[in-house]
Amino acid sequence: MLAYARNASFPALRQTYRRMGKAWRLPQILAMTPDAANALLGRVAREQDRAAFASLFGHFAPRVKAYLLRLGAPGPLAEDLAQEALLSLWRKAHLFDPAKASAATWLFTIARNLRIDAIRREKRPELEPEDFLPQPEAAADDGLARTDEENRLRAALKHLPADQSQVVELSFFADKPHSEIARQLGIPLGTVKSRLRLALARLKRALGEDE
Amino acid sequence: MIHHHPDEALLLAYAGGAADEAVSLIVATHMAYCQSCRARAAQWEALGGSLLQDLPPAPMSGDALQSVLTRLDEIKPVERPVRPASRDATPQVLRNYIGGDLRDMRWRRMGPNLSYVPLFRRGAVTARLLRGVPGAETGAHRHGGQEYTLVLKGGFSDVTGSYAPGDLQMMEGDMRHNPVADPGEDCINLAVTTGPLKFESLLRKVVAPLFGF
Repeated sequence: MLAYARNASFPALRQTYRRMGKAWRLPQILAMTPDAANALLGRVAREQDRAAFASLFGHFAPRVKAYLLRLGAPGPLAEDLAQEALLSLWRKAHLFDPAKASAATWLFTIARNLRIDAIRREKRPELEPEDFLPQPEAAADDGLARTDEENRLRAALKHLPADQSQVVELSFFADKPHSEIARQLGIPLGTVKSRLRLALARLKRALGEDE
Repeated sequence: MIHHHPDEALLLAYAGGAADEAVSLIVATHMAYCQSCRARAAQWEALGGSLLQDLPPAPMSGDALQSVLTRLDEIKPVERPVRPASRDATPQVLRNYIGGDLRDMRWRRMGPNLSYVPLFRRGAVTARLLRGVPGAETGAHRHGGQEYTLVLKGGFSDVTGSYAPGDLQMMEGDMRHNPVADPGEDCINLAVTTGPLKFESLLRKVVAPLFGF
């Protein structure tokens, strides 16, 4: 509700929010749970619910902007692309499938592709609906499985040793091949790859997989 | 059944968006054949979603939400395009790049047994389709960078094993091999190199650069 009040287009509410001052920014830092984000996105898809969209915007636009800044986008471009990413979310909401990805993950793929298109000026090769193989085991998969997966990954990420989480983060935030990451860190490529292997093995264990 | 897959680091680079376009194309096309890599890439995308959630937010400008809300009315929902089905089971992700089915390609000869179709080149990274009649040899070579080969039709074999449709071979540096097309139908591969191939035979050394290898 606080996120809604902060972002609502009603001037009275916005003024109230401003008068409350910075203390009320706290809810923005506190995470929106993956299930709550999925539910809001579902309301955008089914009912074109603007209040739900405003809440998603309030939570995710600053994070998408932070992601783009981490990748080296200048401030104004990061701001524009973050707005574009959320517009894309509105436009594609009816294609969102919670059995395939959580809202945060889906938005991550939108932001990633926008960045590749706008900053690297390349296309992003993606599987098309025609390419989907029959999935015998997927029947039991639902949105809860995806958000549970995201929760487990977030928890496991926080417990990775620093040298391992660093190479995982750089894989997402550096826009460089692993050989470049090795050069930047001043360590051999083999070390980057073995740290990654260790990190990914831990993350897989967190997802309940055996090596 | 797929036996040869991209390694974890490559799937992560694809999911995270650091892999360049040609490499991403070959990974995505492999995933059109491979359920397990698709599931794995989806997991690493979820890792991206997790990292996104935990980034310290960068404040948006004061009127950002208002200006986006006013644009919502102008935009139309995205519709999925309707496309004719492939007549030879060419994955759609690849059809987007080659502008049709594999059987529509115009092959350029390089020697009696091999032909190719250039797709694109960016810096040292090159993507092409390669076709060999049964028994055709690429010629023994090492690698100036990475070489990724995805079988689309037929198959090939070398010292590292046998490769059938959907299998992805990763070679680099001093790994030496001489792929030979299997008997039966022509072998068609999607091939991406990040540096020149280093052939051993003098003839191929001279001829390869003429074809952009």
